[in-house]
Amino acid sequence: MKRIKLLALISALMLVFTACTADGNGDDGTITTAADGGSDENGNGDGDGDSMGSTLDAVIAADQIVCGVNDGLPGFGVVDDAGEYTGFDVDFCRVVAAAILGDANKVEFFPLTAEARFPALQAGEIDLMIRNTTWTATRDGQEGANFLFTTFYDGQGMMVPAATGFTELEDLANANICVLSGTTTELNLTAVFEARGIAFNPQVFEDNTQLRPAYEGGTCEAWTSDASQLAAFKSSIEGEGGEEQFIMAEIFSKEPLGPVVADGDTAWAQAVEWAVMATVQAWEFGLDSSNIGSYSGDDPNIQNFISGGDISAGLNLPADFAVQVVEQVGNYLEIYEAHIPALGLQLEGSPNNIWTEGGLMYVPPFR
Amino acid sequence: MTTSQTTTEVARPPFWRDIRVIRVVGQIVAVVIVFFLLRYFYGNLIENFNRLGISTSYGFLSSPTNFRITYHESFNPRSPVWEMVLVGVKNTFLAGFFGIILASVVGLFVGVSRLSENWLINKAAMLYVETFRNIPPLVIIVFFGFAVFFYGPFPIFSESWEFSLPGSENVFLILNKDRWGIPGFSEIGNLTFFWVVLALGVIAAIVVWKWRTRMFDRTGQPHHRVLWATGVVLAFSIVGYFVTGQPFEVSYPAISEDRRVLNGGFAINWGFISVTVALGLYTASHIGEIIRGSILAIHSGQSEAANALALSGFQRYRFVILPQAMRIALPPTINQYLNLVKNTSLGTAAAYAEITALTKTSIGNGRPTFQSIVIMMAVYLAFSLVISAILNVVNQRLKLVDR
Repeated sequence: MKRIKLLALISALMLVFTACTADGNGDDGTITTAADGGSDENGNGDGDGDSMGSTLDAVIAADQIVCGVNDGLPGFGVVDDAGEYTGFDVDFCRVVAAAILGDANKVEFFPLTAEARFPALQAGEIDLMIRNTTWTATRDGQEGANFLFTTFYDGQGMMVPAATGFTELEDLANANICVLSGTTTELNLTAVFEARGIAFNPQVFEDNTQLRPAYEGGTCEAWTSDASQLAAFKSSIEGEGGEEQFIMAEIFSKEPLGPVVADGDTAWAQAVEWAVMATVQAWEFGLDSSNIGSYSGDDPNIQNFISGGDISAGLNLPADFAVQVVEQVGNYLEIYEAHIPALGLQLEGSPNNIWTEGGLMYVPPFR
Repeated sequence: MTTSQTTTEVARPPFWRDIRVIRVVGQIVAVVIVFFLLRYFYGNLIENFNRLGISTSYGFLSSPTNFRITYHESFNPRSPVWEMVLVGVKNTFLAGFFGIILASVVGLFVGVSRLSENWLINKAAMLYVETFRNIPPLVIIVFFGFAVFFYGPFPIFSESWEFSLPGSENVFLILNKDRWGIPGFSEIGNLTFFWVVLALGVIAAIVVWKWRTRMFDRTGQPHHRVLWATGVVLAFSIVGYFVTGQPFEVSYPAISEDRRVLNGGFAINWGFISVTVALGLYTASHIGEIIRGSILAIHSGQSEAANALALSGFQRYRFVILPQAMRIALPPTINQYLNLVKNTSLGTAAAYAEITALTKTSIGNGRPTFQSIVIMMAVYLAFSLVISAILNVVNQRLKLVDR
């Protein structure tokens, strides 16, 4: 009963909280929340927001960006031994700071739990969220979130002990499969197995501290989660002297992860999105942190990219934003190589490769 | 005040100081305040829901769940949410029911052992109580899952241990880290008539029980009513089995050829075992202390009298001490039973599909939080009220009749 009471109390508190934020919106209209849902209030919020100035102006005035991140996901967002935030998502926060403020260190990192992330964005506690958040229709529609350029294409995968010799989902007929409760992972798992008519037995756990022993002990014969997370756990299990693990090649869900801002602030959204996309464009041009400052070639597109000029003006970005981004943080490949291969995920053949190599990293032309 | 007056008429105080008025008005005011508080909170809730565009309807109960439930092959993702609630209720009931039986048996044993004059038994019981009583039930469940199943001695499912009785080909016990198999019954004919016969048997047993009790009261002959009643039910079921055309047979557990599926028999999954045994042992430590206290509350003269009658140690407890101790022990034990049932909500730690775990999964998959929690609360409330009602009836029967 204690737990139920607690749940009820929490939900009651959350209601009160959401009610308060909703009130705040109605009154001053500076914050747009998805929770409002109704088109009137949202419309009002947008109008007021524009007249009162964009987050972009606020960020420039404060000379700092508040970026919501994960603080416990190796490779994407984690606090290292020195107390510094590090990771793939974290670096993209720095990219935005470098582009807009000219200094990659002008970021205040704001650690967020999965439940708290959208309320924090709605309430304006953070300017920007880069926290391995999957772009879905309901989130885009109902959470008042504006999803920008996808920086990482993840997908749900399946891990089994290598000794079992299982290589495809069909091998898992009637198997126990470990999964976390209340995640899209669980629904994806059910959907794909039902669609193929494979019988299975889900073992639903609340967190990984109980799930992992069940998997390692053999009660579960397979573990399903986002491929990047499985890769992190694979290296962790093997690194601690456990059995060799195998991640199946098949990816059975789409999990596009990228930066998110609040709805209704076009100027801010554009600035963030083009700052992030500059990293991919630099990769495509072959520019990285070591050579972008000394480029002396004749390609007018690259010259234009480096000098800014026409590109930056309409986007409310400084002329040298691309140079600042690449020099201070790096191009997409450099950011990727710094964090992701350590998890055991390879760029070759993944959707995160550049489009010229068959991947999905494709940005509109910078001209 | 009135005495000072000479008239016979009793002067009444002004109405605001009149105790009769104050009582009535006070109660009305209290009711009105409570009513308006609830009205305010409910209205506030609904208003906020409406403003946020959150539905307050329970229509989602008939929409598909979109997920599977562990060890429930018949439950498919298209089954409606209300069916999921029923599965949760069933699993909560099973864990609560068997947990209560285990806790009662072990608790009684421990409680009596705590008073043993044998040093070893006494201290062992004390160690048991102090260990289990002082560890949170969640930790016990998690530990049980880790120690017995994840890192325990049992093999993985495909390498299960299979035990058969000597001289028989049938497997009667299958042990592994996942699902244990024991023999069960499988229906091969129409069971309806058999159930009718069995119900008649139970009615007959009650009649026989009353008859034996009357005989005992009249003649003082040993009543043996438990033996008689069991015999009657057994006789009815054996005769009924053949009369209704052998509608069921014993089914033995077997593992399929590809070593993936457990067929036949009765399957017990590891989550159920972890939750039931962990909570049973935890609650037993509390019940043991209740039993010990209740026994100590019986006047020592009762023991001495039993000894004077040359009753054995067992007889002393069975016929003199425990019947009296039970009267004292029952009310606090009811509380422990209620706690046990409510603690099954920790089952999610062992991936056990009870009502709380399923509700959380359901909420996580987009079902309305408020309505889901209301349903969950109603389920636990119903369980608690039913247990209290049953045990209150027992309590009424047991308690000393004041004349």
